[in-house]
Amino acid sequence: MRVPVTLKILALTVTTTAFYTIVGQLVPQKEVLPPKETALKKEMTQAEMVKAGKDIMEGKGICFTCHTLGKQGALRFPDLAGIGARAGQRVAGLSDVQYLAQSIYDPNAFIVPGFNPGMPVINKPPIGLTDDEIKAVVAYLQSLGGQVTVTMDSKLWPLDQAKAATAVPTKGPATP
Amino acid sequence: MKGRLALASIVVVAIAFGATFGLVRFLLGREYHPPLRSATEEPAPRQQALRDEAAAQAKADREKPYQEETYRRFPVVGSRVAVWVIAQLHLLFAAFVLAVPIFALIIEFIGWLNGDSRYDRLAHEFTRLLSVSFSLTATFGAFLLFMLVVLYPKFMNYLTHVFSPTFAPYVLLFFAEAFFLYTYYYGWGKFPPVVHLLLGLGLNIVGTGIMMIANAWLTFMMTPAGISESGAVISTWQAVHNYTWMPINIHRLIANVAFGGSVAAAYAAFKFLGAKTDEERAHYDWMGYIGNFVAICAFLPLPFAGYYLASEIYAYSQALGIQMMGGAFSWLFIIQAVLIGNLFLGANYYLWLGMGRVDAANRFQGYIKYLLIAVALCFAVWATPRSIIATVSETRAMGGASHPQLGYLGVMSAKNTAVNILILTTYVSFLLYRRSGRIPTVSWARLGNALQVAISGLAATVVIFLGVLGYFVEARVRIGLSVPQVGSVLFAMVAVTAIDVLMYRRAKSLGETHWGRIHPVSQYVLIFLAVTFTWMMGLMGYVRSGLRQHWHVYGVMRDTSVDAFTPTLGFATRVVSATVLAFFLLIGFVFWLASLSDRPARVHEPAP
Repeated sequence: MRVPVTLKILALTVTTTAFYTIVGQLVPQKEVLPPKETALKKEMTQAEMVKAGKDIMEGKGICFTCHTLGKQGALRFPDLAGIGARAGQRVAGLSDVQYLAQSIYDPNAFIVPGFNPGMPVINKPPIGLTDDEIKAVVAYLQSLGGQVTVTMDSKLWPLDQAKAATAVPTKGPATP
Repeated sequence: MKGRLALASIVVVAIAFGATFGLVRFLLGREYHPPLRSATEEPAPRQQALRDEAAAQAKADREKPYQEETYRRFPVVGSRVAVWVIAQLHLLFAAFVLAVPIFALIIEFIGWLNGDSRYDRLAHEFTRLLSVSFSLTATFGAFLLFMLVVLYPKFMNYLTHVFSPTFAPYVLLFFAEAFFLYTYYYGWGKFPPVVHLLLGLGLNIVGTGIMMIANAWLTFMMTPAGISESGAVISTWQAVHNYTWMPINIHRLIANVAFGGSVAAAYAAFKFLGAKTDEERAHYDWMGYIGNFVAICAFLPLPFAGYYLASEIYAYSQALGIQMMGGAFSWLFIIQAVLIGNLFLGANYYLWLGMGRVDAANRFQGYIKYLLIAVALCFAVWATPRSIIATVSETRAMGGASHPQLGYLGVMSAKNTAVNILILTTYVSFLLYRRSGRIPTVSWARLGNALQVAISGLAATVVIFLGVLGYFVEARVRIGLSVPQVGSVLFAMVAVTAIDVLMYRRAKSLGETHWGRIHPVSQYVLIFLAVTFTWMMGLMGYVRSGLRQHWHVYGVMRDTSVDAFTPTLGFATRVVSATVLAFFLLIGFVFWLASLSDRPARVHEPAP
């Protein structure tokens, strides 16, 4: 029996499409939901702030889309392991809290040597963290090798007001 | 018997009617009647309650506040999928309508220059597919607009706020497009050639203008500009001229030509397979070859346009770029790798099969296996993911989510190298096809050949060297390496072509090219390529749009609908497939309509 050409073309079209659909089912299937809000209270302890900051960085802040934690090699953005120890020594005249606050509110003010500018302003959309959320993030970053000094009552921005939350700069390696 | 049945029917109907009438009377008789009252006008309690209820409703209606709807729901599949499918169908037809006039004009121009009427006929046949496609494009465009206005009123209100000054030019250009398109098609052979060519040029300019305006709207959604922090428009021109506008204009223009060429080649294949005479087969074989040639020529520089677009996305927002290549959409590029690998394999296979048309082409057959090995290796590298799904024990055994050796092939350095070598290999396939059946007669032929080999080899060496170097340098240096990689391949293609054209100017023919003498499988390859191109357009359209994730306008207007999440890639590919099948059903209808003009008209016999 001779199969009509039209039928053969139809079969080829359906088979090709089905093949690509199957390929689409073979890759990892993941739904990406809008970021969840992390509940913050004014009377949070520093330990609670550190935990909330970690959640925010992994979620709404999408920090780990670019940054890594404990990775070495040719990185696109600075690795954050030990940042709590390094932050106070990055920029002369800036304490760890001031440096971390500046990195978030005005990220292009200082670029870590060897890297390109590229970090967005975190308190503006599309990320749009609130001041309280940024305090929690700073607490978490301080906890990565440093001492947490920031509290929910701290004022981080503008920079001159961040002095209130400043601790004695911690010692640590100067490289990223 | 029939009489009895009729009588029985009448009786049954009469009984049923009587029963219904009686039932209605019975029910009406049981309605509440107020008691007989004296001369007072006091209404019965039930009547009063009904009046109060009506008054309350009237008051509520009068005081109902106006509330602007943010979203409306589309039944069953939801608003997002409905808009997605219609937008994709509109874009596919629009791409086809924009692309065909570009290469039809070029072919007509070549025919006018060399006086070969075959080119004119070919160009005319390509444009035959346009008129119905144009109507379908407009219909789907109107459908899409209604869907957006109905389902996403607040978002459309915002886009109108930003882009209302662009609407009038868009409509005017659309009228001009209709004028040029129909005059170009129906005026074929009716105007002096130069006037007709100018009409075609006008059609292309207007079509490109329409595309650029529409591109401004969609690129603004991804990389908004020209607005205040609250989203108020400051400059419409800046909103139009946002980060990704020009890269998308360039990318779409090239991709449209590739897609249009492949669909036109599929039309030729459809006609070839149904041809009854050798003459028809020869004509449609040639048409398919030209369509595919156009598609592949446009396809080769497409990855470079893609780099430009991606670099502008990174320049606008590193987070957006990383989301695309390393986040939620990273696996989508593995699917894309399968598609591109198939396109290269199909394109090369078609060229190799095409050597069967040419006498004495078998002297190049020996090279094909090496080209196939190169294509297969590059395909394998491109399709290798950086990280793979593995069980805990497998991950431990590998020492991480990436394979200790194969993981190195998953990064951009390897993939850039693979695609550049793929492009170079396909170009070599084309070069062999071009040379088959001819021998150069120029005195410097040996030197020319050596130069061509040296340039191609040097380009391949540069590509591989820079690819390896990418593993050992900082990120900012590595990103920049793709430019010299691309540059060396482009240089090689231009230089080798220039040498080849000069070298084969007065070449000796070893045999003829027999159009139509090709294995029928080649025609199915053309259809396969068209389906693959279409599917890839659907997939890449999804990533471009889906990249915004839970934003209608990135960073400005958040999606708060029930669809404010990024679906799985499996779901996305199912939607893409449904759209592609719908497109091919419709384009099949266009092909059928275009074929009707070849059929002889029915002869009507005069009425007796």
